[in-house]
Amino acid sequence: MLSYIIRRLLLLPIILLGVTFLIFCLFSLLSPMERLATYVHDPATLKNPQSVQRLIDKYHLDDPFPLGYINWIKRIIHFDLGWSQTANQPVWEAITQRFPATLELVLYSIIPVVLVGIWLGVISAVHHNDMLDQTIRVTAIVGWSLPTFIFGLLILFIFYGILEWFPPGRLSTWAQNILYTSPDFRSYTHLITIDALLNGNIPMFLDALRHLIAPILTLSYISWAELLRITRSSMLDTLRKDYIRTARAKGVDEHTVIHLHARKNALIPVVTVAGMQIIGMLGGVVITETIFNYPGLGFWVASSAQQLDYSSVISFALLFATLMVLGNLIVDISYALIDPRVRLE
Amino acid sequence: MTEALLQVKNLVKFFPIKRGVFRKTVGWIKAVDDISFEVYKGETVGLVGESGCGKTTTALTILRLEEPLKGQIIFEGKDLSKIKKSEMRKERKNMQIIFQDPYSSLDPRMKVKDIIAEGMLTHNLFKNTRERYKRVGELLERVGIPAEYMDRFSHEFSGGQRQRIGIARALALEPKIIMCDEAVSALDVSIRSQIINLLKDLQEEYNLTYLFIAHDLSVIKYISDRVIVMYLGKIIEIADKREFFSNTLHPYAQALISAVPVPNPDYKKERIILSGDVPSPADPPAGCRFHPRCAKARKICAEVEPELKEVKEGHFCACHFCAE
Repeated sequence: MLSYIIRRLLLLPIILLGVTFLIFCLFSLLSPMERLATYVHDPATLKNPQSVQRLIDKYHLDDPFPLGYINWIKRIIHFDLGWSQTANQPVWEAITQRFPATLELVLYSIIPVVLVGIWLGVISAVHHNDMLDQTIRVTAIVGWSLPTFIFGLLILFIFYGILEWFPPGRLSTWAQNILYTSPDFRSYTHLITIDALLNGNIPMFLDALRHLIAPILTLSYISWAELLRITRSSMLDTLRKDYIRTARAKGVDEHTVIHLHARKNALIPVVTVAGMQIIGMLGGVVITETIFNYPGLGFWVASSAQQLDYSSVISFALLFATLMVLGNLIVDISYALIDPRVRLE
Repeated sequence: MTEALLQVKNLVKFFPIKRGVFRKTVGWIKAVDDISFEVYKGETVGLVGESGCGKTTTALTILRLEEPLKGQIIFEGKDLSKIKKSEMRKERKNMQIIFQDPYSSLDPRMKVKDIIAEGMLTHNLFKNTRERYKRVGELLERVGIPAEYMDRFSHEFSGGQRQRIGIARALALEPKIIMCDEAVSALDVSIRSQIINLLKDLQEEYNLTYLFIAHDLSVIKYISDRVIVMYLGKIIEIADKREFFSNTLHPYAQALISAVPVPNPDYKKERIILSGDVPSPADPPAGCRFHPRCAKARKICAEVEPELKEVKEGHFCACHFCAE
């Protein structure tokens, strides 16, 4: 098992090499002058042809493709991802600053995805074909087929536009003032809900939570709906297995049959899908954060794309690919942990 | 052999056929249609018939793994068909089942020792875990699997070994009757004989009663004391094994016996070839259910359903002409 993990981790650089190569191909479609734009800190530089040439030389922007690729990789390794025009700061700084907000959103969204998706899926299967099952299935199909940008706008319209329950953004102004100006407030994790609790600031915690609910609803709906459908069909499949009959024949009570024998076995394929859904949510944040004005990676990358801020977009793609590969590895490992028949060699 | 351990009286089990948007019941699969028989203490009753004739449903309904529609299941004088599910759970200790497919009947996420011990735990057979696992070890040794394998998962065993585990699991509750639902059909021939011999030895040792379901008459001939033949949800013949194989009465049973291969190349016997397929159990033929395929069918066969009559002592047959 350990050797499998190590081997998979050794593969990671190769996969990233492939990903970066593709990204660099996109990057190379731009002329040296266009690429230069990502390294210009001060627009005044552009007025001086000499300093422009100096920048081109400094960043080897007119190198041939292979040399350029190697140099680009070298810079990536040193976390020199370029300059983000949108964020008006180096890309690496922009990422590290916005990552906690996105992480917070995704982490909270896992709760409804896993709990609601799996829980309702099991209930749906146990009540196969009766009213409860039909209701749950219709809810899931609606969630599965409704595009995020439509559902998100509906949520925004209803809960902010009409009811004014869940405002957009990440914090109210008063809470932002505490976060950025109060000398007593210490940021431990940069996850606002957790920091607020660690600082004992309950109103701030509730405020952060209030801002999170609508994006969580939007981001998680499609994922838990998908997970529910997988759980339900896997559970139905398992409930028909002979070993479920065997358990009943032993005289084991129905609760144990469903939750110990059936659910444990039914969740094996679900874990793979759940892992993919959680990783996939990183892509969903782009739309969700844009709708709710939530200051995370997705919001930033969406505006970067609109402003042709190439270095930001490419760096986001690189980060996303890394997380994807690591996420898949975690899924594979957990698969082996829960299914004794799978051995990772 | 005088005391009936299990009496099945007029047992009926239909499965609804549901169609359409509102899943309306449009018909019934008559899997088991009004059957009655008895199983005596210590004997092995062989239940034979083609696939789809209701053998497995009979066993599952007796165990109430499927709820019976009508009829009585009297086990040691107690009617199991009416009692509550929680009471039935207690009764399960006395009645166990061994399934056909040794690959799907063991929970893949449980260790063998826990598969076997779970029933003991449910029925509080031993005080503590150590004693339970000690007993698991004894049982495994008894069915021919080294006790030290108890920490393995079921996928680490071969088909024959898995079926042995299934037997150990059934034995763990010290049941009085075991239903062997095609317990050896999925195994290859050499393993099959080992398992059958093991079942026979265990029967003597633990004074077990078997309801042995099979479609293979040679297996039935070897292991059973009495034979019950089913066709399309009905019992058509019940007889002692010797009587059954020497004096088969029902035309369908005769056809079944004629299909058993004889291990002698010079022996030429006349085979009775049945024409046509088994009719659908959703829409069985009127009168005798076998009449469309029966060579001896006459007018009455299509009109009147024959009753299961005692032709000789202990030999029952459901055919209008079985006395001839």
